[in-house]
Amino acid sequence: MKHHFSRRACLRGLALAAAAAALCAALPAAAQQTLKFGLAMPLTGSQASYGKDQIRAAEWAVADINEKGGVNGKKLEMIVLDTQAEPTVGINAVNRLIDIDKAPVFITAWSAVVKAVAPIANREKVLELSVGANAPEISALGEYVYTTFPLADVDVTALAGYTYKTLGKRRVAVVYANNDSGITAAKVYRAVFEKAGGQVVAFEAYDPKATDFTGTLLKVRAANPDMVHLHGLVAEMPLVIAQMRQLGMTQRVSTYAGGYNPQMIEKAGKGAEGLIVTSLAPNEQQNPSVGPYIERWKKAEGRIPNGLPYTQYLYDAPYIVAALYAYLDRNKLPATGESMRKALLAVHTFDLPLTSRLTVNEDHTVRTPVNLLTVENGKFVPLATVQ
Amino acid sequence: MFDPVVLAQIGWTSLATSSCYVLFALAFALTLKVSRVWNFAQAGVTGAAFYGMYAAMLRWNWPAAAGFAFGLAIAAAMSAGMEIWGFRVFRRQRSSPLKVFIFTIVFAEFVAYLLTLLFGTEPQALTRSIMSDVHMVGGVAVSDWDLRALGLTALLCAALFAFLRHTRQGQFMQAVADNGELAELYGISANRACLAAFLIAAALVCCGAWLYGTRASMIPATPLELMIAAVIATILGGIGSLHGAAISAVFLSLLQSASVLVIPSQWQGSLVYFVLFAVILLFPTGLRLPARLRWNISTRS
Repeated sequence: MKHHFSRRACLRGLALAAAAAALCAALPAAAQQTLKFGLAMPLTGSQASYGKDQIRAAEWAVADINEKGGVNGKKLEMIVLDTQAEPTVGINAVNRLIDIDKAPVFITAWSAVVKAVAPIANREKVLELSVGANAPEISALGEYVYTTFPLADVDVTALAGYTYKTLGKRRVAVVYANNDSGITAAKVYRAVFEKAGGQVVAFEAYDPKATDFTGTLLKVRAANPDMVHLHGLVAEMPLVIAQMRQLGMTQRVSTYAGGYNPQMIEKAGKGAEGLIVTSLAPNEQQNPSVGPYIERWKKAEGRIPNGLPYTQYLYDAPYIVAALYAYLDRNKLPATGESMRKALLAVHTFDLPLTSRLTVNEDHTVRTPVNLLTVENGKFVPLATVQ
Repeated sequence: MFDPVVLAQIGWTSLATSSCYVLFALAFALTLKVSRVWNFAQAGVTGAAFYGMYAAMLRWNWPAAAGFAFGLAIAAAMSAGMEIWGFRVFRRQRSSPLKVFIFTIVFAEFVAYLLTLLFGTEPQALTRSIMSDVHMVGGVAVSDWDLRALGLTALLCAALFAFLRHTRQGQFMQAVADNGELAELYGISANRACLAAFLIAAALVCCGAWLYGTRASMIPATPLELMIAAVIATILGGIGSLHGAAISAVFLSLLQSASVLVIPSQWQGSLVYFVLFAVILLFPTGLRLPARLRWNISTRS
């Protein structure tokens, strides 16, 4: 008996086979579904050398988390986009993370960018985690904007108080970059120092894109301060200090955590001696995981990272995201920004590898002890810890 | 605030830091006088020379002299190329000044764009540390860089003056500057004179970039900002007057530094733009010195 396969039957069979193949392809893809989050940092531009190190730290964290099984078997996927530390570029990056990559949470830094993208996060109900920016007004940028890094009113307050009470300085000049990072932090320093009883004899801004600060520094020199507090971006601060010394200004200089990087000593040379910086992350003595982390950098890059404390926070940031996803998974919540925010407020205390215990307060801030370090013989050495 | 020591420091530091601006202004004024080109492409030459020196010395670890020579070669080649394949063609075609102006602006922007792609926008200096030894002289900080900058600039100005006054090529350049067509009738090559002007300008901007990069840092957009100061100095000093351009550059540096005594320091950078507007509107032919104090490129001198 002959069997005849009609054309219609053949087509039906082919359609069924194609559907089966598509289903088979989809099943592994579903099983491999990743837990997405965004990382918007400067890959290019004047802040790139710091942004790249921070991205590297976060990439290591994601790899370490995924190596240990991810979050309940699901891998974290970090989508990295460039902001150039510029608000307009940051806005484009965040819009892409939300509209195209559908990330329910993203991490970003640099105060100008954090502030510029905050309205997008609030409008789209996507959780924005600021890690590294320190403008105090970040705590008031909206429901969906949280910082996991202490703001300037933490370390700058500690520094101003230390300068007055412990160092005994009474006349300070404040020199700051004329941008979001510098203006507010400089005002915080001035307010705290004056409240303590000191006098701010010069309060001078400079263009962060400038490379010659002679005029500003001459004005500071004319005010004859006992000490100079500098608050700018990490790229130009070594130049400011070097040009200060070239003008015969021998006053001790203090700055915030942005000054705690090896480039400061390399570029400013002996001009950096006596520089006081803050660190908002625990050191090797305070957290045993920091030593191996530094060794990892030396092995991979032959150096310690630019802005070591910042990279510690960026390494820990994916762990925070992983904890939020774990909460969603436990409570069967969808991966949306609203759920992420709910998870952040519910979990609110995180035990992190490199920054130890971190508590996100309801007022959108975090608080940590402030470590002070100083440059002695070309190296950063611990000076004090302010609780 | 008006303490004599502070004023003296402002004066000294302004004089020292003006050395770069003097060289940039001289280069711009020289090419304008001889070839009658508002050479905004000088910004591109400056940037290329700087980053050439940076790459040679800090990335490839060449000795300083070799790095400088590399930057100088780049500046000279670029300037010669622009003159031979750019401005000479425009002169032959009798192109409008607007066309030449657009060419120079686009060239400068293109070079800045290329440098951004190659080197990024992180500020770079020509030395790993920009510190130099400082000596206190009567309360005024005098750094080794200040002395080097002033010495080099004085030497270059003297050499330029001697070249223009006492060499045949210099005299040819004066003749072309005065009347190019008449000079041609006497057998003087205007093209060669223009090429010489561009090559001398290349050497001046390379030296200026060296001085700037050993004291401050540069990003690809910095040369365009430095150009504005050179243009203002050229206009203020009187178009055609080299020493007027040099003196104006010193004056502008002094004005910018001293201005912080009376205005907020964050406004200091915008001062040069106010001066530019004032110069264009109020002194379009420059501030004229008495004839006996003038030194122009002129067949009468």
